[in-house]
Parts: sequence; C-alpha cells; structure tokens
Amino acid sequence: MPPLLAVRNAAKRYGAVQALTDASLEISAGETLALIGANGSGKSTLSKVINGVVAPDGGQLLLDGRMVRFDSPHAAKDAGISTVFQELSLVPQMTVAENIWLTREPLRRNLLIDRRTERQRTEELLSLFGGTLRADLTPDTPVSALLPDERQIVEILKAISVNPRLLILDEATASLDSRQVQRLFELIGQWKARGTAIIFISHRMTEIEQIADRYSVLRNGQTVGEGAMKDAAAGDLVALMAPETSSSAIERHRLSPDDLAARRVVLQIDDLRTSVLRGVSIQVHEGELLGIGGLKGQGQRDLLLAIFGGAPYSGRILLDGKPVHFTHPRQAMNHGVALVPGDRAGEGLLSIRAILENLLVPSWRAYGFPLRMKRARQDASAIATRLDLKMAGLDAPVSSLSGGNAQKVVIGKWLLRNPRILLLDDPTKGVDIATKAEFYRLLTRLCDEGTTVILYSSDDEELIGLSDRLLVMHDGRIGSELAGASLTTANLVAASLGVARMETP
Amino acid sequence: MKQSRWQQATYRHPYLFALLLLVVAFTANLLLQPNLLEPTTLNSNMRVFLPLILVAIGQAIVMIGGGIDISVGSIVSVVNALLATQIGLSGDPSTAGMMMGAALVVGMGAGALNGLFVAYLRLQPIITTFATSFIYAGLALFILPNPGGGVPSRLTAFYRETIILWLPLAFYVIALILLVWAFIRRTRYGRYLYAVGGKADAAYETGVPVQAVQFSTYVASGLMAALGGIAMTLLTGSGNAQVGDPLTLSSITAAVIGGTPLSGGAGGIAGPIIGAVILGLIRNIISFASVATWWQTFVNAAIIVLALALPGIINLVRRRKG
Repeated sequence: MPPLLAVRNAAKRYGAVQALTDASLEISAGETLALIGANGSGKSTLSKVINGVVAPDGGQLLLDGRMVRFDSPHAAKDAGISTVFQELSLVPQMTVAENIWLTREPLRRNLLIDRRTERQRTEELLSLFGGTLRADLTPDTPVSALLPDERQIVEILKAISVNPRLLILDEATASLDSRQVQRLFELIGQWKARGTAIIFISHRMTEIEQIADRYSVLRNGQTVGEGAMKDAAAGDLVALMAPETSSSAIERHRLSPDDLAARRVVLQIDDLRTSVLRGVSIQVHEGELLGIGGLKGQGQRDLLLAIFGGAPYSGRILLDGKPVHFTHPRQAMNHGVALVPGDRAGEGLLSIRAILENLLVPSWRAYGFPLRMKRARQDASAIATRLDLKMAGLDAPVSSLSGGNAQKVVIGKWLLRNPRILLLDDPTKGVDIATKAEFYRLLTRLCDEGTTVILYSSDDEELIGLSDRLLVMHDGRIGSELAGASLTTANLVAASLGVARMETP
Repeated sequence: MKQSRWQQATYRHPYLFALLLLVVAFTANLLLQPNLLEPTTLNSNMRVFLPLILVAIGQAIVMIGGGIDISVGSIVSVVNALLATQIGLSGDPSTAGMMMGAALVVGMGAGALNGLFVAYLRLQPIITTFATSFIYAGLALFILPNPGGGVPSRLTAFYRETIILWLPLAFYVIALILLVWAFIRRTRYGRYLYAVGGKADAAYETGVPVQAVQFSTYVASGLMAALGGIAMTLLTGSGNAQVGDPLTLSSITAAVIGGTPLSGGAGGIAGPIIGAVILGLIRNIISFASVATWWQTFVNAAIIVLALALPGIINLVRRRKG
C-alpha cells in the first residue's frame, strides 16, 4: 500500500535564493512526522509545497501513490490537506464560529445558514480545548477580542474542522501555554487513531521527542536524513541539521573572553520583559560584536526594538552605567543608539528618493534652518566613500542601486550620526555573497573603531564567523551563551532547539 | 486585548451611534416642526430622503466589502437624464416601466465596469470610481445637455402621494430592502462579503472567491444608485444631468455615521439608512431654524469628523484612565 503522501525531489527557487533543492518525505495515515531543520533549511517552503501555497519548480507530489498538483490552498484542502498557518488566516471582524466554518457553513434548504447547527458544532470543537480556554469564549466572540493563544487554537480548530487526512502544524505550539500544548498532544493522539496523518514543525525539541513517530531532517533545502524517532538521539539529529563548516568569506579576529572582560561595559540589560521576552539580561562591552541567534521569532527582534525604544518593556537598561528608559526611537538616537531594520524596502529606505536624501533622513536636524546643503552633501559623500558605495551620484534614486549597495545606504544613514551602539536586524537577508563579504569588512572596521554592534541574524554561519560572543534565544529567553571554543554551528543549532549543550570539541 | 463594552456593543449593533444621533436630530426637528409625525408631513420628508437612503445602502455594501464607490452620484444623474428624456412628460406607463427596467440595467452595467477595474484589474477603488464618475457624468450631460424633460405627473403623484396605512411609500421600500438584506446576511454570500472586507488575504486562503465578491458589491451599488435615480426622478418630475452630484459624498457620510468603517468588514445597512435620515433631518432643522445654508455644510462635515473620530477618542480616554 502506498503512503498517504509522498514528496519526491521537490525544488523551489525564490529569486536568487534556492529554498529547496532536493526535498523528499513520506507519511502514512495515522502517523506523526516531525519536519526539522535549522533556519533557512526549507521547512516552511516544503510545507507550503505540500499545502498548495507555493508551486514547486521541480519534483513530484504523490497522494495515495498518484501524481497530484495543487494550484491553490483550496485545491489542497479539497484533497484533504489542511494547514495551521503561522501567519494566521482568521478574519478579525468575524466571530469564532463564522471564521471556523467560512466557506463550509452548514446550510438549510441549500441556501440559508443554519446558525444553530453552526453554533453547536463550534461548541463541540471548542470543548476539545475545554478547561484551557477562558469560560466566556463562545462561538459568538469576535476573533479581534481573542488573545494570541486563543486565536492559535481557533486556527487549529478551523484546520481540523474539515476532517483532514493530513494536518500540517507549522509552529502551531509557539504561542500556546503548556496545558494547551498537552491538550493538543492528547488530541493529536486521538486524530492519529482515526487515521489522520500529521506533519509537525516545531522549534521545541522536547515536543518533537514527545509527539513524533518519525522525523525528516532538512538541511539547505535538501532532505539529509529520516527515520524512527525512537532510534534517534537529539545529538544525532542536531549533527544532521548542522551544515558542514565551509571556509567562509568571513575574516574577523575574534576578541577573547579575557579581552572583553577588560573592556568597559557600554550597555547593561537586566531582566528585560515584553509581550515576547521573558526576562533577558545582557552585558555588552565597548567595541564588541555581540551575536544574537536562534530560530526565527524567539524574541530577537523584540530585544532590539525594546533597546531602541520601539516596544514597551519592563526591566532595567543601563547605558554607560546610567539607567535609561526609551519610549521613542528619537530618544535612543539622541543617546547614540541606532537600529538598522531588516526589511530594507519597507522600513529602511525611501526607494524613489535620492541617495543623498536617504543618507540624511535621520540627521537633517543637525544642518539647521535653512539647511546647510553644502555641508550636508560633504558629509554624505564622506560616508559614501567610507562605505565604498557604488553609485551614479548622490542624486540618483536609491532604487537604482544594487541590493548590497542599498543595504549600505541603510547603515550609512545611521553612521552619519556616529552611533556608539549599532543594532542590526538580520541585515544580510537576501544579499549576495560578495556584498556580504564587503558588509562583514565594514562591521569589522566599525568594531575596531570602538562601535558596539549587536547583530541579530538568521544566517547561522555569519553569526559564528563574526560574533565575539553569541547569545542563542529560545522562547523569549537567552537559551545559552556561546563564546570562544564553544562557538560552533553544531552548538548553535543545538541551542536553537533547546537541546542541552554539547561538549566543546 | 480586552474590548470595551462600547466596542462590543457597537460590534453587535453597528448602528448604535447613528440611533443616538437620530434621537437628537429627531427631537430637535420635532420642536421646530411639531406636526412632523403626521402622515402627510412624514411622507413629504421621507420621499425627499429616499433617493439618498437607496444610494447610501449601495455605498455601504461596497464599503463593507472593503471598497468605496465615488461614482454613485453620477450614476443617479445618468438614470435621471435617461428617464427624463426617454419617458417624457406625456409618456405612457408601459414605456415608463420599460425605461425604468433599462435604467436598472444601466446602473448595474456602470457598477460592473467599476467592479471590473477594481476587483479584476486591481485598481485603487477611490481613484478608479472617481475617474469613472466623470465618464458617467459626461454620459448624463450627453443624454441631457440642458435641464428639461420629465416624467408624467401620474407617476410622480404615485411616488409623492402614496400613503398606505398612515405610512408613506418610502417605509415600504425600506422594509422590503431590509428584508432582502436580512436574507442575504443569512446566506454564504453575506458571510463572504464581510470576510473579504475584513481581511481579503485570509478569505482567499480559506477559499472565498474574493474577486467575484468585490465585483458583486460594485454591481449592487450601481443597482442601488439606479433605484436612487428612479426615486429622484419621480420626486423632482424633471431632468437635470447634475442632480446626483451631491449624493456621492452624502452617501459616504450616511454610511460612516451608520457605523460602516472605511476599512471594511463591518457595519450593515440599517445604520446607513438611519444615517441618511439624520442628514435629511439636519437639512430640515437648518431650513426651519432659518440659519445660513453654510451651516448645513458645516454641520454635515462636523458630524462625519465626529463619527470617524469617536471610536478613537473613546479608546484614548479609556487608556488614559487605565
């Protein structure tokens, strides 16, 4: 008997990035398969290939041994494949019941919606999580009034309400509390007994060990191993996930822990808490390059935003030993803190405006009224030279620059203000290798000049190569700190998944 | 994200704010015009309000679906020009019936053009319908370059004078539309409408035919504008190619006062109906209080700003307290 679903040699390319090269998996009815891999290994892309959100460039999809092709999420759903999306698919203005049954409303005489039946069925679904939800959560509660965990549960119920043959849970447990997770696992057990196949994607290794029958490991878009969960030790899986160490373009002389200890502490954070962060304490030294790693969405971005005054927080932040509490980015900027956003098109650049204007946006105030354009132009061109910006001229629009050079403008506009602390939010995402190398040299130089850099990156290799110290975040906490000899990709991957740290080689 | 009681109440009953305002406007009007509730006075008011009510309903449907229709006023003008020239002051009832049918088709056609641009070619709704409004306004002027023409007095008398069981004709028209709306709300199409206006991506992901729903809202709006045009023609009894112009902004005002957010996905048509009545009552009050007409524009604008800002103000006050 053929497996319920088989993916053979799937490939998918997004622009310049090859997200999947050769991914394969098989899953049978009544089985739970854990899909695991490090950042950017292609887990999400593979699940999107299966549920029809993304059309693969190559490879085959076999359902019950027959070739299929899904043009839309709807087609996949008709075939019995249901997904709990990470980006939620609920309409906030509609009620819980309306959302769960959207497009599948029970009808009377084939025309009118049978609200009583709809209500009843919704209550039955909600009772699956009974006891872990607040009591006043009814089918008529609008989704906009729900908390993140409740929305996630509604999303799960919506996915299961179609009685799928295959359920994909993509980080579905991320916002649930432990009781809700346990209930979900009990339910998964029941669904398995009914013959539902489940693909489980999670960043929590303990959950994977608890719930999965089999595993499939992705690395750089390629399936590199699979087997029964009971035969696998966490350490082996981590070894599979970690990419082979390649000689990279990064040449940075790492500061030793002793060097660092001798330096002045520029930034001290005690017990920082936000809606995502759960008590983060950090000390950063002058001229240090502190890496922040871990799987995506573990609170790294929140940490940078909180320091920059862009997100409300509780806790203590000391800048040069003096307590500060920024509630607006302008205050942080005035204290020499700069944040370079990751989404450079959306947050970092005014792409149709001139390079000159973009470089000067944060600094116009320094040029008085009326603006002293001559000096502004001098300063901007000094920065352009320092960054080795390849451009037609300062008056050319930013949109005429290559991706890497545009990224330099994003950083350059903050350098004009001579920041002492530079926060970087995944700066090299979607940047080609040559530009990356140039960017690394720039960072190295900045650190040598005494600028303190906090770098969050989803590129593990880059973090290992650049960081003096590396903090790995997991579930809103610092999972572990890697420095010196323990700064290896294997340790980073292990820490990302919350697995106990391995011995240093 | 706990919602305030006011938010919950307005979620369930989006016309709550409009109802409050209606009571105020109605009381003021009653003081100035004590015979307001007599059948003939009621009728003479409602027959004037009805064109805007019809247009505002169409506008609200588009807005619930996440769009906006700036061309409704011009569609009213086209229909008015069409009827005034084609039926004529001495036209017979069968031509009149045929031309009214044709007017509805024209209205839906104009709406379909809007829908084609917005839903299928994904053009920005404000700009698109603003642009098409000139096409329709031009068409109206082409049909009827100078004010003139008209419809037979028998028809206008029917529209103006019909009172059944003390209630004017307009009430029965509104009741019929509310009935149809209550039916639509209980069909899948009704749910799709709100889902598309609320979060089109999520609706698409779930399998809702987003583009078809968006398209349909513009056709519905065109149909309601045509009905408004017919009512307007029967009210005035004459033709004027610019008669619909003021209805565009008034219909949006009525919909917003009636609890239809510009962001879509919420509201209903009861609110916009009340909103249109409020606008009419304000016009009455101003004429009876014999104040300058610029007050009317001023008060209209003040009310729409208030209606838009009120939820934000309430939240702000609550946050300050909390």
